[in-house]
Amino acid sequence: MSDRTTPAAAPDPAASSLGDTLAGGWDGHGDDLPPEDWGKRGGQRRTGTVWLFALFITAMALAHAWLSDDLTSQAFLAWATIFTAISFQALPFLVFGVALSAALTAFVPPSAYQRFIPAKPVRAVPVAGVSGALLPGCECASVPIAGSLIKGGVAPAAALTFLLAAPAINPIVMIATAVAFAGQPEMVLARFAASLLAAVVIGWIWVRFGRADWLRLPARPHSPGESRWRVFRESMLHDMMHAGGYLVVGGLAAATINVMVPREWLLTVAGIPVVSVLVLAALAILLSICSEADAFVAVSLTDFSPTAKLAFMVIGPIVDLKLIAMQAGVFGWRFVARFAPLCLAVGLLSTFLIGGLLL
Amino acid sequence: MNRIAQGLTLVLLGAAALTSTVATKLYLNWVKQGFGPFLIAAGVVMVLLGLLVIVAELRGERREAFADERDPAAEAHGGASDHGADPSGHGHDHSRAPAVAWLLLLPVIAVFVVAPPALGAYTVESTAGSSAPPPDQPRSGRFDDGLAEAGPNEVVAMDIRQFVMRAWIDEERLLAGREVELTGFAVPASDGEGWYLARLQMACCAADAVVNKVLITNEPAPEADTWWTVRGTWVEPAGEISDVSEHEFAVTEMESVTNPPDPYE
Repeated sequence: MSDRTTPAAAPDPAASSLGDTLAGGWDGHGDDLPPEDWGKRGGQRRTGTVWLFALFITAMALAHAWLSDDLTSQAFLAWATIFTAISFQALPFLVFGVALSAALTAFVPPSAYQRFIPAKPVRAVPVAGVSGALLPGCECASVPIAGSLIKGGVAPAAALTFLLAAPAINPIVMIATAVAFAGQPEMVLARFAASLLAAVVIGWIWVRFGRADWLRLPARPHSPGESRWRVFRESMLHDMMHAGGYLVVGGLAAATINVMVPREWLLTVAGIPVVSVLVLAALAILLSICSEADAFVAVSLTDFSPTAKLAFMVIGPIVDLKLIAMQAGVFGWRFVARFAPLCLAVGLLSTFLIGGLLL
Repeated sequence: MNRIAQGLTLVLLGAAALTSTVATKLYLNWVKQGFGPFLIAAGVVMVLLGLLVIVAELRGERREAFADERDPAAEAHGGASDHGADPSGHGHDHSRAPAVAWLLLLPVIAVFVVAPPALGAYTVESTAGSSAPPPDQPRSGRFDDGLAEAGPNEVVAMDIRQFVMRAWIDEERLLAGREVELTGFAVPASDGEGWYLARLQMACCAADAVVNKVLITNEPAPEADTWWTVRGTWVEPAGEISDVSEHEFAVTEMESVTNPPDPYE
């Protein structure tokens, strides 16, 4: 325990008794068993699942008791810390986004969208881009919301523009950027302009070239009579499982890169004009930092030019490992394989343009 | 992944979020303190949702929904979507989640088994050279350390971040000769001489942590990752302050800290 950084912050007795509490709590569920359909189709599989989880919880309790103190590899612990940090930081946003998206699916009739968003995709795209400024959250929240917008009948291109704009230009992110780049309002303006421009241009490109069958959106078949709360619950569960699973994939990748790639490698290329911009764009993709935090990291990369920092903040919210994985979960890999490179290309062009004009 | 498994996964994930915030203060090792309430809310929502799903499933709701879905939907979906690419066969049966959702148990294991500690000396050593660099233009009024307000003989307690900021960009060198108190953890210097007192600065979560550190050469290096409160003065560099890469600190007193409240600044 002595080589842990914060011995006291990992209180063994409390957590281990918690493992027991959990196991006990599970026994509570066990009282409901057997269900009334015990032995019918599916019943046995369910019982199996419950046993599997009981085993899992027991294994965790045992591992906690015997294994925890042996986990002393510094590199592994740093990796675990960053992985947990990314997962838990994104979790509230994911839950919020999933809940909002489920509410849109369950309670907002498609006709409501048609009142606000123009029917013609070409005009809907800029409207969607600007309304991205209304959603306070990061990219984890916007993926499921975009999915439910498309299901609600919004043109896919407009929903995708919203998906790209919301995490980049919402008030929280703008304030965070202004705080990080105190005294450089041009950076805040450049970020807003470059992100919005990229989102709208990508939307228009999708209007022109996008194909509906690239998007995999299971139209959720709920019968008209189904209760809205049940639709809400099902939609939330569905999105949590899809977006959440891939969020963990993205967190694993980002944590690995965060620990494996020493930042001083970057400093050697900081002085080269175009390359430095591309390097920071690549870093934004790999690190998958939440859009509300990326400005603070960007400002700390002082050896790089303002345009390179702008690239870090423009690319991060529209393409990164975590986002790619989540989009794959909601829209499918065929979509991501086309959408992510498009975002990267347009995002970079927009960065160079706005960076050249404003910075 | 069947629905019982989905529900139990959500309950466990929610329990992990609640454990790390309500039962312990583990979450401070990973995210900002301000995230606490949001994590609690998310944890509660996940536990509730998970329980609802389990209860609904045990009541046998799924079978009727499943029966509803099967006939028209399966036909309508068949050709258009890319089932071949999706091993979970997603698109037919909404009650099943893809296998990737099992990964949601990884954060649960991380919390209950590994309980990852705050980043420390290892991270500082492996990010050597990327210590918080000087902001582009120093501006008056951007110091938040209370040095200017403190009386001339008062000891000023500062964050290491604030100290480094002063040392790097304060052209008036207000820091010179002042007695300062810093708190951080010890990191052995890789090139031999002296050691660092370091602290990580976090904007949002541990993934964006930035290292702040001062070099100490007039005291023997304590064990890595032990926490210390040191008093002493800034070693004023001879040349331009913005050219300095490591800020040195001359210690007059140092005291061991048993348990720092928040590992990050």
